[in-house]
Amino acid sequence: MTSPEPTSSDPASSGYGVTFDQIELGDELPVEHPDVSLERVKLWCDAADQHFPRFLDHEAARAEGLPGALVPGIMNQGFLLALLHRWAPSATVRKIDTVFRGQMVIETELTITGAVTDTDEDERTVEVDLTVVGPDGRTGVIGTAILAFE
Amino acid sequence: MNDDRPAATQADLPAIRERWVGVEFDVATFEMEPGRMVAWATACGDTDPRFIDPTHPDFQAYPNFTSHCTTHRVLPDEFPKIGPGFGIDGGKTVDCLGPIRAGDVLTGAATIADIYDKTGRSGTMVFIVQRMTYHNQRGEHVSTVDWKMIRQL
Amino acid sequence: MILDLHTHSVKSDDGRAKVENYCKWIQKKQLPLDGFVLTEHRQFDADSDYRELEDRYGLVILKASEVETEYGHVLIYGVNDDLVNSFDFADVTNPLPMVLEAADRCGAFAAPCHPGRKNVGLFAHYLTKGAVDGVHTVEVLNGGSIPGEDELSVTRAAEFGYRGFGGSDSHIVSRIGYCATEFDDDIEDVDGLLNALRGGSFRPISLRGLADDRENGDQP
Repeated sequence: MTSPEPTSSDPASSGYGVTFDQIELGDELPVEHPDVSLERVKLWCDAADQHFPRFLDHEAARAEGLPGALVPGIMNQGFLLALLHRWAPSATVRKIDTVFRGQMVIETELTITGAVTDTDEDERTVEVDLTVVGPDGRTGVIGTAILAFE
Repeated sequence: MNDDRPAATQADLPAIRERWVGVEFDVATFEMEPGRMVAWATACGDTDPRFIDPTHPDFQAYPNFTSHCTTHRVLPDEFPKIGPGFGIDGGKTVDCLGPIRAGDVLTGAATIADIYDKTGRSGTMVFIVQRMTYHNQRGEHVSTVDWKMIRQL
Repeated sequence: MILDLHTHSVKSDDGRAKVENYCKWIQKKQLPLDGFVLTEHRQFDADSDYRELEDRYGLVILKASEVETEYGHVLIYGVNDDLVNSFDFADVTNPLPMVLEAADRCGAFAAPCHPGRKNVGLFAHYLTKGAVDGVHTVEVLNGGSIPGEDELSVTRAAEFGYRGFGGSDSHIVSRIGYCATEFDDDIEDVDGLLNALRGGSFRPISLRGLADDRENGDQP
């Protein structure tokens, strides 16, 4: 359950390391499976100072009526940002807008996707759709991002 | 903290909206610590040195790092009780307006941007949108975060 | 003619799709859609005018509403001033019989959407409150359904003799066209859509494989 290492030397085949001129409306970003191990989630919780049992303890989460310990919504948003940075390392994220629709459980295989829905040649920006999908096919997060290129 | 007040009902929402939308209710400062900045980006699986290497000339906070910088009060003290507990996180919108550097001290101001209700698979929900605006020590507006808090009626 | 009868734009609180980006996506991906209907949550968007986009992209773009009732969510096509003034579109507890009656009286067409969904679907409420007279058509294929929901919708709709249609329930651009409705008639405007819906010559279709290889979503 790790994100693939970027292979920016060959963006055409890997999908990573693209520049503005290589991007077209309709392009799909590489599909990734982020690391949602307990260790990784704990690292994020330490950084965010959010030590809620619902993120770190399956039993405590189930006692709250949840299906298991949850991946924090903001961390899911972070996975999407990491995908964007690998996909277009020369770009700057101007905006990321995510709707948390379903609960994603830690220590499962999540799938994150992206697709280019608009490009602006004058502003040198692209707009991207983003999703986080759980192992049962349910979408936990939908969103969009705007990236600006030099 | 226990809240023994009676919970608001759907009928109370128009008045709550009228009273509270647009109200700024708290301000706090946040120091940007490089260790936390690196840990955040690393936990999210990023390998870009701009976010994980404090010696990089363009080292900066992750684009959504401010999302966890909330004021002491999530809602105003006098805000009505809506639903049980803290509710759940319905989403985050982050406007990244400028780089946030290690050592920056951000001032974050909390405002209630919107309140509305809707129904979903889990029942009737009230969405309270809390908007945090962040300025650095030079007065530059560097980030805005809209946080949708969902409370169950 | 194929229309996606259930889409949301940035006008909806949880919609993240710009209408022109839907058009560009349909064109770029060569989706077999002839158009789509914007069904914004708890409101009718009377102000937006998409005629220029229709001409530029060769698509039919119509406006409707998704309102909320005590029996779940309901799509209303042919919304007009009389209907908007009949009840509060923003209220999430509208009585379904009242919504159906108001739509009929004002010349609109109301149909419950994602009826197989927990809490916001018609059939979950039928189990506890009984069936409602006046329902004739429901959305049996919804692009946001989780496994089992559409199957339940199809089965129960058949049991009650309801006609079925499809819509993607897209909230982001790349999910338009997951489900849609194929009409025998050509439709150019809202009146044409109303006539076609009343005529009953349509069927739900799934375009997931064409629209996107990814799995469907979980709309709240």
